[in-house]
Amino acid sequence: MKSRIISPPLALSVALLCACNPYQHQKNVYRGALSSNLKTFDPAQASDSYSNQCQFQIYECLYEYKYLARPYDVQPCLASSLPEVDDSGRDYTIHLRSDVEFQDDKCFPGGKGRRVTAQDFIYSIKRMTDVRTQTFGWWIFDGKVKGLNAFRDASEQLPPLPDSIHPALYDQKIEGLRALDDTTVRIELTRPYPYFKYILAMPYAAIIPHEAVDYYGEEFLNHPVGTGPFILKEWRRGLRLVFERNPNYHHGFYPTTGEPGDSAAGLLEDAGKPLPFLDRAEFYIYEETQPMWLNFLRGNLDRSAIPKDNFSQAITPEGLRPDLLQKGIHAHQMQELDISYICFNMEDSVFTRDRKLRQAMQLAYDVETVIDRFYNGLGIRAQSPVPPGLFGYDSAFRSPYGHFDPEAARKLLTEDGHPGGAGLPELSYLTVAGTDARQRGEHFVQNMAAIGVRVKVESCTWPEYLERLRRKKFQLVGSSWSADYPDPENFLQLLYGPNAPPGENNASYRNPEYDSLYQRMAVMSDSPERLTIIRRMKSIVAEDCPWILISHRTTEVLAYDRVHNVISHPILEAPLKYYRVD
Amino acid sequence: MLSFLSRRVLHAIPTLLGITLLLFVLFHWVGGNPVYRLLGKNANAVEIARMTHQLGLDKPFWNQYWDYLRDLSHGSFGRSWETKQRVSEMILDGLGPSLSLAIPAFILSALISLAMALTAALYRDRWLDRLLVVLSVCGMSLSVLTFIIAAQYLFAFRAGWFPISGWEPGLTGVPFLALPILIWVAASLGASVRFYRAVFLEEMRREYVVTARAKGLSWPRVLVHHVLPNAMIPILTQLVMELPMLFTGSLLLENFFGIPGLGNMSVNAINASDLPVIKAMTFIGSVLYIAANIVGDALYAWFDPRVRVS
Repeated sequence: MKSRIISPPLALSVALLCACNPYQHQKNVYRGALSSNLKTFDPAQASDSYSNQCQFQIYECLYEYKYLARPYDVQPCLASSLPEVDDSGRDYTIHLRSDVEFQDDKCFPGGKGRRVTAQDFIYSIKRMTDVRTQTFGWWIFDGKVKGLNAFRDASEQLPPLPDSIHPALYDQKIEGLRALDDTTVRIELTRPYPYFKYILAMPYAAIIPHEAVDYYGEEFLNHPVGTGPFILKEWRRGLRLVFERNPNYHHGFYPTTGEPGDSAAGLLEDAGKPLPFLDRAEFYIYEETQPMWLNFLRGNLDRSAIPKDNFSQAITPEGLRPDLLQKGIHAHQMQELDISYICFNMEDSVFTRDRKLRQAMQLAYDVETVIDRFYNGLGIRAQSPVPPGLFGYDSAFRSPYGHFDPEAARKLLTEDGHPGGAGLPELSYLTVAGTDARQRGEHFVQNMAAIGVRVKVESCTWPEYLERLRRKKFQLVGSSWSADYPDPENFLQLLYGPNAPPGENNASYRNPEYDSLYQRMAVMSDSPERLTIIRRMKSIVAEDCPWILISHRTTEVLAYDRVHNVISHPILEAPLKYYRVD
Repeated sequence: MLSFLSRRVLHAIPTLLGITLLLFVLFHWVGGNPVYRLLGKNANAVEIARMTHQLGLDKPFWNQYWDYLRDLSHGSFGRSWETKQRVSEMILDGLGPSLSLAIPAFILSALISLAMALTAALYRDRWLDRLLVVLSVCGMSLSVLTFIIAAQYLFAFRAGWFPISGWEPGLTGVPFLALPILIWVAASLGASVRFYRAVFLEEMRREYVVTARAKGLSWPRVLVHHVLPNAMIPILTQLVMELPMLFTGSLLLENFFGIPGLGNMSVNAINASDLPVIKAMTFIGSVLYIAANIVGDALYAWFDPRVRVS
């Protein structure tokens, strides 16, 4: 009798525990990981890489990055061709495809997605410009399009959202942003911006239907309605996102050409085939690295980054560990378009005129150890602000102070009247609170102590850190920058004088020659003349040392062999439409 | 009893107001200006001023505090700065997963620790008692993080007895919750067993226990029928005080096992300096703590009339 009472719950427990593995591998289903929660599906708020990664599956822009092309370039997406730019470099005429429809959604009459028109692009940009949207991305258009700033100012007078979601102001014409007909857009810029085509490929410039914003109101951020290869099936915050193939998507095809070696690597096996290949894609959210890593090793995930603490378990000096290779796992390396550096506050009395002190500190910083210890040896020592992969990068370029030489640093300090650091106050190094940042700070302190320069580490929260940067309340600060678009201008503007805080030039660096060269370079297309200017700018920075240059990172991700067409792209993260899973 | 409870509820009001003021002052002066984080790396002076105005951060301190109190009185916690969701909706979304882990873990933990403490008390100063005390001390000495990392690796990954992480609603979620519940129970047993054992031993020294034994009752019968009911006052008080913790969830367990609960949400909010969410969670946590205190006091008064008189 007793056993009959006990056995049903026991049997139930066993049955539940042995329930089929929901992560079991399936053909045409991709499972990936996100190491942080996705914030929103509103393109106007797509400020982080996770949001970008997920939004690119649903929303599309006029242009998109070519998947296999290096150097990075764009191709038409919702546009039918590359923009026609007049001789002044200011007027853009863009033709849109006439065969693209939004996904089916209840926001449309009858639930059937309608055709995308030029007016949708105009609406999307106007909404992004509207102050009430509180976008992160206004800077991509700020001051660039004629009449758009006036529209933004006028939007301040509108009643607060959610009232007046589609105000009459949206019907007013903007001088530099017009739909000539259903498939033609004319954009007039205030001055030439050769990198404007990249701006039009950023998620902030994604095309959204006004019906979705009107229908979902403030909840639009939870209900993406786009033209992309996938639709959002499920979004459980903190757990997972599930995408399914968009039946209305017919305009994407796998690239037919690639770089040398792509064919041998099997990256052109699907050339010309319609996209996407996947029926379903799932992203699981892992706040901690252990469950992500264990799930990947178990085969529950198709692709994963290598957690810092598990790096030696995956990669040896000879490459990927044999047991992982036997499991059918391969590593994919990617050179990030970024730079990390320590920034001097050039308005601080210690650094304003003391170039030799800055040069000495650059020489005294053991960057190779930083790369080994904090980036698992993956990274290139930076010699200039321009990272590899961009026009203007030159692997042979060497800053005279871009190597570790404490002896030369001491000599420079002596010449500067500070032998052994004498007469220098204790300096403050600002960083964000966290174990990794603190350890890096301590390493910097040790390196500087070796030449007699006393430095203390000051940790703060992320908002405080940003506030102090914008208010110039620091002496030295650890910082980094990742490319918004693949143009050297995006990195060289970080030292342009007028961009001083609250702009992006955190160093408050001002050099009239550099500024003048920047103004010329920023409006030029890539050419030998532009290259000469960039070289000169890099030399000025190398000599002035407004930053202690650290590195351009390299990242490594692992994927199972069953996933095809995987390459790492620093701007297109996990572009699922190109992936095929056997 | 009613007047006793009324007094306690009235006392809670100024306490709550004090908490709101403290919370507001703390985040107003210490948290840093959120506008810089909200606008990100590309902010300029005009946009910073614009956003400051939009969020009402350019208003005088007391006006901002008044707005905060007004919103609270309407049950509104505003919208998350990070995800733009309504905070109240975020909390409702996270409550189910948190409770699905916390309630079974809490009940199991209470029952097992009581049983173990009774056993230890029954066999006091013998090898079983000593073994349980040593195990309890060991359990208390290990951090919950050690339990999580080791159990997830050994039982989920190596042995494959449980899913490594994940969560599903309803019965399909049981396999996902089994291991985190076991970890919660294992990690909480040490302190509970030690406390309950001490309570039982204290009770067992009383004269009524000697009388019961003298009448010929067996130890197990004395323990279950006499000692346990009398020891319930401190035990219930302890259990009631743990109830608010069920709401806030287990930060580490939820994070490691991918349970989309309130603990997970709080960690994200702290990492992102998402003040509306942090303020809401702290406020609700405080309210529940005060409520648990009142319930605890009421139970005490119920069981011991001297408390009511004093």
